[in-house]
Amino acid sequence: MSRYFISLFFLWFCAVGLAQTDSLELKPKDTTYLALESKDTTAVIYKQKYGIRFGIDLSRPITKFLSTGYSGIEFVGDYRLNQKLYLAGEFGREKKTKQEDLYNFTTTGSYIKLGIDYNTYANWYGEQNSIFIGARYAFGTFGHTVNSYQIFDADRYWIPTDFPLGSIEATEFNGRTASWLEAVVGIKGELFANIYLGISARIGFLFGKAGRDTNFHDLFVPGFNKVTDASRFGVGYNYTLTYFLPLYKKAKKQKKIEEEPIPEIEE
Amino acid sequence: MIFIILFGIIFFSGCEKDDICVDAATPQLVVRFYDQFDTAMLKEVSALNVQGILNSDVFPVITNVSLSEIRVPLRSDGTITSFQITRNLDPDDETTADIDTLTLSYDLDPRFASRGCGYVMTFDNIDGVVSTQNNWMQGIEILTPSLTQNDTIANVKIFH
Repeated sequence: MSRYFISLFFLWFCAVGLAQTDSLELKPKDTTYLALESKDTTAVIYKQKYGIRFGIDLSRPITKFLSTGYSGIEFVGDYRLNQKLYLAGEFGREKKTKQEDLYNFTTTGSYIKLGIDYNTYANWYGEQNSIFIGARYAFGTFGHTVNSYQIFDADRYWIPTDFPLGSIEATEFNGRTASWLEAVVGIKGELFANIYLGISARIGFLFGKAGRDTNFHDLFVPGFNKVTDASRFGVGYNYTLTYFLPLYKKAKKQKKIEEEPIPEIEE
Repeated sequence: MIFIILFGIIFFSGCEKDDICVDAATPQLVVRFYDQFDTAMLKEVSALNVQGILNSDVFPVITNVSLSEIRVPLRSDGTITSFQITRNLDPDDETTADIDTLTLSYDLDPRFASRGCGYVMTFDNIDGVVSTQNNWMQGIEILTPSLTQNDTIANVKIFH
């Protein structure tokens, strides 16, 4: 249920972001276009910055601080390919201990995600923000330790008040791997020069059996998050602080407006 | 487009199934009583009464399915389970009760079922002995030596 509210927070964040773009119709949308129209000999070309952006996910250390039984770190990065397309990726490591009703387990593992982000936001002059959708292919290696468990025996004939103890010795299930596809949606805003704050939400689609043919299923996959019994889908999010390292500048490709005949008003 | 994805995420995260165990359980052993002379013929036990025994403690009466069939729970925290099985040819008279003991030994094999259920117990290499102190039970036959799920077939036959 708490996750439901967290999801609502995302929506709220994005609504604020979009609301701003609608109300700020004060500046001209495309300075370059106007420049070309007024003086078609000396066009002012605005060159956009290209480079690499890297940083960390803030939500994982915060989650570690706020909840027991979790620690994790995620590094994020992207590289701008053209006007709208970015090569993007994340890699990280998570460790999570979860107490279910009758068992307690710890999952530890690493993951890497690679893919693209597509910026759908048309920036104003000089802006570098983005509202993006993206896709990732992700791969993770991990292991589980079942710390203790009780046997689910609904009959309760022999022990009327509790479930029989299965084991308090840790059992290891190592060498697990998982791969999944992720759909990403998020925003990035330039907080200060070259410093960005971003948030993204993700739906993952898990491949494979999720350990269901073994004696402990993959209930949590680092990077993918919770795996549910009935579904292959999982949800996740991150909250990134990144630094943009500009490498070169390139002008946006202009539409050939010269060929379009401008209607003249005859008197 | 973005809003469709966002609503999709909210939909998926808001509708996670509650983790209640519905799809698995630790199975119970089905014991049926047969005629000792015609071993394919079910034979009812007069005033059948089954109670678990553990370290000289006698547990509550287990509800009969019928006078010729009973389902008994095996202990998941030990490899031996005993029951005292009582027949009374004259149900109105307590002193005529014949009490015999059924002792089952087995290996424990916990299996992970699902997130909601966790581990359920399955039982392998089941072996059974009937004590014949009052001699109403004449023999035992283990039909299925492993018990992995609740089933409607007999696992153990007892002849009397």
